[in-house]
Amino acid sequence: MMDVVFIAATVGFFVIALAYVYACEKLRGGKDER
Amino acid sequence: MTLNGWLQIVFFLALILLVTKPLGLFMARVFNGERTFLDPVLGPIERLIYKLTRVDAQREMKWTEYAVAMLLFSVVTMLVLYLLQRVQSVLPFNSQHLPGVDSGLSFNNASSFTTNTNWQSYVPEVTMSYLTQMAGLAYHNFMSAATGIALAVAFIRGIARREMQTIGNFWVDLTRATLWVLLPFCLIGSLVLVSQGVIQNLRPYDTAQLIDAPSTQLIAQGPVASQEFIKQWGTNGGGFFNANSAHPFENPTPLTNLISLFSIFAISAGLTYTLGRMTGSQKHGWAVWSAMAALFLAGVLVAYASEARGNPLLTGTDQTAGNMEGKEVRFGIANSALFATVTTDASCGAVNAMHDSFTPLGGMIPLANIMLGEVVFGGVGAGLYGILIFIVLSVFIAGLMVGRTPEYLGKKIESYDVKMAMLVVLVFPLTILALTAISAVSPSFGTSQLNNPGPHGLTEMLYAFTSGTGNNGSAFAGISANTLWYNTTIGIAMLVGRFMMIIPMLAIAGNLVRKKIVPPSLGTFPVTTPLFSTLLVSVIVIVGALTFFPVLSLGPIVEELMF
Repeated sequence: MMDVVFIAATVGFFVIALAYVYACEKLRGGKDER
Repeated sequence: MTLNGWLQIVFFLALILLVTKPLGLFMARVFNGERTFLDPVLGPIERLIYKLTRVDAQREMKWTEYAVAMLLFSVVTMLVLYLLQRVQSVLPFNSQHLPGVDSGLSFNNASSFTTNTNWQSYVPEVTMSYLTQMAGLAYHNFMSAATGIALAVAFIRGIARREMQTIGNFWVDLTRATLWVLLPFCLIGSLVLVSQGVIQNLRPYDTAQLIDAPSTQLIAQGPVASQEFIKQWGTNGGGFFNANSAHPFENPTPLTNLISLFSIFAISAGLTYTLGRMTGSQKHGWAVWSAMAALFLAGVLVAYASEARGNPLLTGTDQTAGNMEGKEVRFGIANSALFATVTTDASCGAVNAMHDSFTPLGGMIPLANIMLGEVVFGGVGAGLYGILIFIVLSVFIAGLMVGRTPEYLGKKIESYDVKMAMLVVLVFPLTILALTAISAVSPSFGTSQLNNPGPHGLTEMLYAFTSGTGNNGSAFAGISANTLWYNTTIGIAMLVGRFMMIIPMLAIAGNLVRKKIVPPSLGTFPVTTPLFSTLLVSVIVIVGALTFFPVLSLGPIVEELMF
């Protein structure tokens, strides 16, 4: 049971990290380019 | 303090100075795809790896692709390590018939080695089989270090390139870092360690007959040397034995101690030269090196002075050797203080003395070093991209002072870059302070695991979360962290401290790489001067001091004042 929890937590963290990548890119939004 | 002690410290720094240029130049050539003396041997291996893994080495990646590749690689390898620990009892190379590792500890340890932290809340020699040590932990020692180097090089490309979209290919950088920068040096280094007495075998543990009770003692064996050199060279720090570099099978002689210290700083120092080389401003690389060296000397001075003056609680006893509690007599005060400073300046975490037994101010130095972001040479790759974040902040502050758009090596630093830099800077204390605070007010699962009450107990908790989030891995000791709460929270802290800081850092690289180079003008703040190095040191210290001073004042500072 705990194996499922920890594996899900690991995968869940990396899914959030992947979303963070695209959130950071979206925040850029093409502004400030010189 | 003794002249002999200082001569050893200065000699060590001189060695780091000497290796900076050749190693930095070598790495610049490796990551620029230029020819090196190792190409005839490693070139065919590299091409075979790309062929087998179907990697197109010519294809460059945007920062988002680079980050996604790094994340996918990390999650897969972390899960493999988790499963390897869980099923080690049915796998070969388990001469001691060790059972599978507990799920909470497996998660913590998989997070620890994937993030280059190597925090160990267990006794390795009675927990991990030889297979887990070799195929799980040593493998991650290489991969996490190579990932750090790849990320630093990607950031350098972000600064060096102009009006482009891409910052390199993660798989190529990872492969080249492993094959050229890690493996050859580790092969030679491990053999040198074996020559000094570091063990390398797959034998069952020996049993020694003792003349007093208990009548026998188990002496752990194992493939130590092959794991020991990468432990330092890759600033991993996880020991084969619980005593880490205080164990005579890991660190048997003064020479192996010096090799350990040298290995921890070598790549990170070299990367400052690589930065200068790849950006076309060698003086800037040396300015960064100087700032790091100044912070290193300040840290080692305080640590050495604090330990050399002895333990104030034992006033009246003979303490001519200094505060020797928790230290190896063979290393003494100078080499213990130096090791503690170096291992926490970098994100290594190996220890040859117990930091918990340092005096309050002496113990505060390792803690403060991690809190400053481990940018004093720092972890392999992580130290460089960490200090580049502080450089972005420094030139931003300098720009504010003169009322001009800040520039860094010709690239304008704008609002997006500073926002991302602040995300990197803020996630670190937020994680440490929040988790320490929760533990400090939770007697059932937080403070119950401490060996000391009061400020020293707070320092033990604070150190654990700082070490985890900072991906250092050294233990202050004095805390029983192998519990569900600490294994889970420190496991998450290590992931956050690694990946949630890398992502905005790569975002800055991805933004800088698109920009034009602005020609320097009279208003440009030069990043090659002693003034720049001074400002950089000031920003690092002020950001660290402002953030962590309140909690430090409740821990080691108040403990010092209690004497």
